[in-house]
Amino acid sequence: MEALFFNVSNGFLEGILRGYKAGILTQSHYSNLTQCETLDDFRMQLSATDYGNFLANEPSPLSTSTIADKATQILVDQFNFIRTNSVEPLSTFLEYITYGYMIDNVVLLITGTLHERDTHELLLRCHPLGVFDTMPALCVATNVEDLYRTVLVETPLAPYFIDCLSASDLDDLNIEIIRNTLYKAYLEDFDRFCKTLGEPTYEVMHRILSFEADRRTINITINSFGTELSKEQRAKLFPTIGRLYPEGNNALARADDIEQVRQACDYIPEYKTFFDSGPQSAPRANGNGAQDDLFNEESSVAADLEDRFFRQEVHLNKQSFLQQFQYAVFYSYFKLKEQEIRSITWIAECIAQDARDRIQDFIPIF
Amino acid sequence: MSDDYPTLFRSEPMSLVQLFIPTEVAHDAVAELGELGNVEFKDLNPEVNPFQRSFVGEIRRVDEMARRVRFFTSQIEKEKDVVPIRPLYDSAPLITVGPRAATTIDELDVTLAEHESRLNQMNESYQTLSDRMKELVEARYVLRETAVFFDKAQAQESDVRTSIDESSAPLLQHAERDNQFSTATVQFDLEFVAGTIERTRLPTFERVLWRVLRGNLYMNYTDIPEPFVDPVTGAETRKNVFIIFAHGETLLAKIRKVAESMGGTLYPIDANADKRADSLREVTARLEDLQTVLYNTGLNRRSELVRIGESLASWQDVVAKEKLIYQTLNLFNYDVRRKTLIAEGWCPTRDITTIQLALRHATEESGTNVPPILHEIRTHKMPPTFMRTNKFTEGFQTIMDSYGIATYQEVNPGLFAVITFPFLFAVMFGDIGHGFITFTTALLMITFERKLAKADLGEIIGTFFYGRYIILLMGAFSMYTGLLYNDIFSRSLHIWHSGWDWPATPSNDSVAATFNGNVYPFGLDPGWHGAENGLVYTNSYKMKMSIVLGVIHMTFALCLQVPNHIRFKRFSDIYSNFIPQMIFLQSIFGYLVICILYKWSIDWSTSPTAPPSLLNMLIGMFLTPGSVDPSTQLYRGQGFIQTVLLLLAFVCVPWLLCMKPYLQYQEMKKIQGQGYVGIPHGDEPPRASSDDVLEGEEEGNGRAIAEDAEEEHEQHDFSEVVVHQVIHTIEFCLGCISHTASYLRLWALSLAHAQLSEVLWNMTLGPALGMSGLFGWIALAIVFCLWFVLTIFILCVMEGLSAFLHALRLHWVEANSKHYEAGGRQFMPLSFAHLNEA
Repeated sequence: MEALFFNVSNGFLEGILRGYKAGILTQSHYSNLTQCETLDDFRMQLSATDYGNFLANEPSPLSTSTIADKATQILVDQFNFIRTNSVEPLSTFLEYITYGYMIDNVVLLITGTLHERDTHELLLRCHPLGVFDTMPALCVATNVEDLYRTVLVETPLAPYFIDCLSASDLDDLNIEIIRNTLYKAYLEDFDRFCKTLGEPTYEVMHRILSFEADRRTINITINSFGTELSKEQRAKLFPTIGRLYPEGNNALARADDIEQVRQACDYIPEYKTFFDSGPQSAPRANGNGAQDDLFNEESSVAADLEDRFFRQEVHLNKQSFLQQFQYAVFYSYFKLKEQEIRSITWIAECIAQDARDRIQDFIPIF
Repeated sequence: MSDDYPTLFRSEPMSLVQLFIPTEVAHDAVAELGELGNVEFKDLNPEVNPFQRSFVGEIRRVDEMARRVRFFTSQIEKEKDVVPIRPLYDSAPLITVGPRAATTIDELDVTLAEHESRLNQMNESYQTLSDRMKELVEARYVLRETAVFFDKAQAQESDVRTSIDESSAPLLQHAERDNQFSTATVQFDLEFVAGTIERTRLPTFERVLWRVLRGNLYMNYTDIPEPFVDPVTGAETRKNVFIIFAHGETLLAKIRKVAESMGGTLYPIDANADKRADSLREVTARLEDLQTVLYNTGLNRRSELVRIGESLASWQDVVAKEKLIYQTLNLFNYDVRRKTLIAEGWCPTRDITTIQLALRHATEESGTNVPPILHEIRTHKMPPTFMRTNKFTEGFQTIMDSYGIATYQEVNPGLFAVITFPFLFAVMFGDIGHGFITFTTALLMITFERKLAKADLGEIIGTFFYGRYIILLMGAFSMYTGLLYNDIFSRSLHIWHSGWDWPATPSNDSVAATFNGNVYPFGLDPGWHGAENGLVYTNSYKMKMSIVLGVIHMTFALCLQVPNHIRFKRFSDIYSNFIPQMIFLQSIFGYLVICILYKWSIDWSTSPTAPPSLLNMLIGMFLTPGSVDPSTQLYRGQGFIQTVLLLLAFVCVPWLLCMKPYLQYQEMKKIQGQGYVGIPHGDEPPRASSDDVLEGEEEGNGRAIAEDAEEEHEQHDFSEVVVHQVIHTIEFCLGCISHTASYLRLWALSLAHAQLSEVLWNMTLGPALGMSGLFGWIALAIVFCLWFVLTIFILCVMEGLSAFLHALRLHWVEANSKHYEAGGRQFMPLSFAHLNEA
């Protein structure tokens, strides 16, 4: 049924989007980009791709941040084009995409204010997709309640914030808790919303969102080792829509080291592989200096893990393009594009800092 | 023969040339060839990345220069008063070849950089100044508006005092306390914050403040009437002045923080009225100073832009040319050891001398004595197709090129389209008046050709202008066919004596005209005009005429196969393809044409038999071959002749179907037979010797075709040939019938055109001509305008376009399918001429 009427409202946008998707850089583009000697070469290579002449009017000593900014600007323009042309329920769906960026921006601003950074500088660093009207006023707030009452109450994030009100002071740990609580509520809400959209969308979106939830769960667990976050608190931050829920979440809530995390994830085949080669590559050191080694190992596992998470995310997002008549493609495209910008920036950064050996560490999409 | 003059009959003979260019001359030589515009360079290092090629550095430098030039252009465009840009043909040429080329480019680079930095500096200072000015203006507004507010508050002071009893307003309590201290002077010792903020943000700002301060504030704001314009982007922002009263240092600090983070600007305002007046005076004075400075800065900037505008066009030109030159140089093979560039490319064989002259000229210009070496390479590769057109034939050639580029050296239908196209158009568009309008329009466009070519005409008019010579011929031919049809704006001309006399006495009954023995010498007798059976007559006439024209056109197109077969040495195709096709076409439709002509030439009023229907005759020829009803017989022996013709046509089908595949098969057999001799290993001496010969030949061939590795060796797949020939046969046989019918569109459109113009005449001008007196004249004038406008737009433009389209189709489908292979590649020479269009 949805196939019958989908194109009435969304056919045009889906067509546009799939056109955009065709412009995503491919492996051969990347291999050309990685061969560049300078950022000017880089610019020339990019101008042969779908990015076109987006850097043509920049004065010559290019900086990586300009490249990233301009590329993000393209993403934002595309998003805004889609958003202004969309109708319900796609427009709400697109709104939901921006909430994630909003949460990041809010947390960025609070953290910045806490460390007494310049507000305008912070505002410039915010992701343009997550900007909302009253955002600048965030820097006035000094405690959580203030934050909610003055600013967030009229944003779409307000319902997510209810759970955070218990935390009273703003410090780094609390901000992290706020971020994760917000994200948990956001993911669950988004998932609920997708359920109302019906089958093909929910099927695909649930797969992506539950992976996102599990990723957060695992990250929270790993990052909380050695901090003062109690296990009960930690358990509260876990989103409840992931594939790890509930057994995995419970196991993770009790976990004390990376080994237990791995065991908790064992029964999901995709996640199992994430932990496979990491610890093996760093041979386990017994006895002396175990503490130090453990720390190193954990951080390397985390870095490795992050990379694999990204790869898995890209993989899932790519899969959503295999289905027709559903909204998940919109989410996926913007996530993929974001990943592409990350990759471009990484390569540019490697070129600028002459770190040739690490230039291959980006995540290709196609 | 064809080597003497360039001809459109076949595309130009091309040569693959190899150039050895010493590095010093390379730039100048390419520049010279670009001006000449008749060499197409091949990419000799396709596997090299674009940024690993030899001249990337130069390209990057030129890109940077281009960016600067673009920056100037955008700055000039943004300027409100138009800055004049001197056109290219008016500015002194910037010479970038010769020994001083490098310095010129360096100088240009430096000049551009200087201009850019100067412009940037000016923009910056202009920006700072306008920012300061904006601040001052805002400050002035804040002072003024707050003064108004304070005045108002003073006036309402009594009201304030009465309302203080309501303790719900803490702000006013505070005011009341102040008032109690100094009721006499009405001193506002309230703490407040004043400033400006963007209008769009005001509601948010107010809401946030209300929430932050939990309602403990009093806020007032007014609009600033004039918008603030950003000097760089030109965007307008509108702002509001606000003043907020609140109590307590912390609250005020919060207000300030919120205001600042929301992008507002705060101004220190004194509560004291005198001090306010002082600062207002001061601000005004500073504003005036600033305005003069700003004006001067603006003037300087403008004069700088004017200076840039004077040479901008030539810079643009030079930069674009340089970029093209270096891009071309990147296609060359760079031999580092020998300090030469090796280039390969196609050029018309006829122009090799010109190119050599140009190269020598470039050598002289650059002041060296090592000339580039040019020599021709023999190759088996298919050269690109190059038709040497002039402004007259260009349009017609484009019509054929948009169907497909001719195969190299193939017979070019564009040449014949010069006449057939306007003619077929005119058959559909025949009207002297409309033709004349079309002709005059084209003539005007041609007369003012030079002026119009420079002007930017827009897409639609530009297209018409491009096809002006087509339109000219279309108009002229339309006048001719109009004469034939005897139609001028749907009326008829009486040039000679009509062959028909109408009875003199008018009566309401239908009358018959009598033949008076005159034969109208040219075109349609005007006596037919208005006759009741006039339409029947013209229909029959035009229908038959379109069949006749169609068959002639197709026969002609079919004949064009022959020169192709001869040129490409496919002699077997003449009797396996051309002859059966010709027989098939002529035995059915050629016969029909002869019958039509024969029927026209007989005076049926004195004939013993009734005139036969040719359509029925043709159908009968297929359904009941051999037997013709004597009452509708056209001539004696008709049945026999028709049977013979039909048999001929039927024989042609298997002939067409089988002969070519059979010949191919034979040839393949022959080659394979030879192959069996060569392959066995040379144990026996005589075969070994033959192997030697073979090898020698092969080597010789290898040398002949130079480095030609990717020679297309067509695999003779027998099944493919069969399938192709089957399709070809079916297409041709069915096509003959449908294409002949397709030519009936000539009749249909011509009829529609005539009827439409007659309707238009009868609806507008016809009745108006009958009116008399002053009213009649006025009506005539109005109706004439209406008629004329409708004639132009509906009959000339709309009908013309539709007839154009149908003429196009008749050429593309009906004629081209008979002979045109169109498997070529357009010759795309390096040329500066089209640089600005890209």
